[in-house]
Amino acid sequence: MKTDFKNKQRGNRLGFWFFRVSLSVFGLKGTYGLLYFVCFYYLLCDRAAVSAARAYIHRRFPKAGFLKSCFHIYILLINQGKQLIDRYAAVSGQVDFDMRLDGYERLINIADNSGQGFILLTSHVGNWQIALTALNKIGKKVYLLMRKEDNPAVIETLQVGIEKGEIEIISPDQYMGGVIEIMNALKNGHIVSIMGDRSYGVNTLDIPFLGETAYFPYSAFSMAAAQGCPIVVLFAAKIDYMSYVVDVTNILRPEYKTRTNKKEQLRDWVMNFAELIEAFVLKHPYQCFLFHDVWKKEIVDGRTTGQ
Amino acid sequence: MEEQQGNSLPEIRKQLKKLLVENLALEDINPEEIKDDEILFGDGLGLDSLDAVEIVVILQRNFGLEIQDMEQGQKIFYSIETLANYVYENTRE
Repeated sequence: MKTDFKNKQRGNRLGFWFFRVSLSVFGLKGTYGLLYFVCFYYLLCDRAAVSAARAYIHRRFPKAGFLKSCFHIYILLINQGKQLIDRYAAVSGQVDFDMRLDGYERLINIADNSGQGFILLTSHVGNWQIALTALNKIGKKVYLLMRKEDNPAVIETLQVGIEKGEIEIISPDQYMGGVIEIMNALKNGHIVSIMGDRSYGVNTLDIPFLGETAYFPYSAFSMAAAQGCPIVVLFAAKIDYMSYVVDVTNILRPEYKTRTNKKEQLRDWVMNFAELIEAFVLKHPYQCFLFHDVWKKEIVDGRTTGQ
Repeated sequence: MEEQQGNSLPEIRKQLKKLLVENLALEDINPEEIKDDEILFGDGLGLDSLDAVEIVVILQRNFGLEIQDMEQGQKIFYSIETLANYVYENTRE
């Protein structure tokens, strides 16, 4: 499958080395300051990054002209940079961010009493990776469904957990998209973290999102319905310089009412999730890092998504 | 979990076909129409990865079986025959 946006340029090892050194020398604020120059360079020279961001900016700020859109993209890139730095600073222990956990008690109840695992449904909004550091108190093993090669920034920042064996990666590229490993992990009481706003295959539903029809994957909902496990929606918003709010109050329990037309039965759940994302980006417009056109049908192995 | 130990191989095949038709909403297919060697995914019965989710649950709930990994799954999920053999081998007393 093709990668539409080569974000490796903005999340590679050299970049992390640069920010690691910068954090040691200039501190958090000083490193943030460098971002204004770095992101201006990206705005001018990285057409792929600007083009990838434009799909979201166009829907979030439909009245913005070309220059205003560029300004929005610039702010978006800076905010993404800040959250990448925060992620690294938090995981490496260099900075202790204030994390307010909304819905944590309920999450603990689910983790302790359900007898099985749950799906942690994340998205390309906010800083879900930093939230994992806040959620490690649950004491459950976390499996991340993702391609290592597409997520160098995530792998780099989560090395601590990976080395301790608290976090493992399930690749969606293997047979049946990793379904068997995911189902086993859920049955054995583990947490499986899945990005719910980006499709890696043909399993999507067309739903309204930011005023237009978008294509959201429904695999996570299908697995939850089949396994009878809950979906915990995770949002982590940066609310000021040193503070995040990790929101796990939204818990979805997809189920099938009949054995027929299961895909359509999942539509309301997927729409519910998309509405939650929409509410988040309306409140935090510069914390949506969906550098992918979810409003466009993808061609996958000769088929289009949403079919 | 239903108690399935001791079933013969033909009985398991028949039961699996019935479970697949019921749980995968194969409305236009009678269990008897599914051939033992019919390929389940892709060109055969036309199942996809979400149907694999249901099969994993069928194996868990009806036979108490867990597929260990993808490599094993790929072999077991090939046809009714391979699926039934796996159930038979792992539920025999």
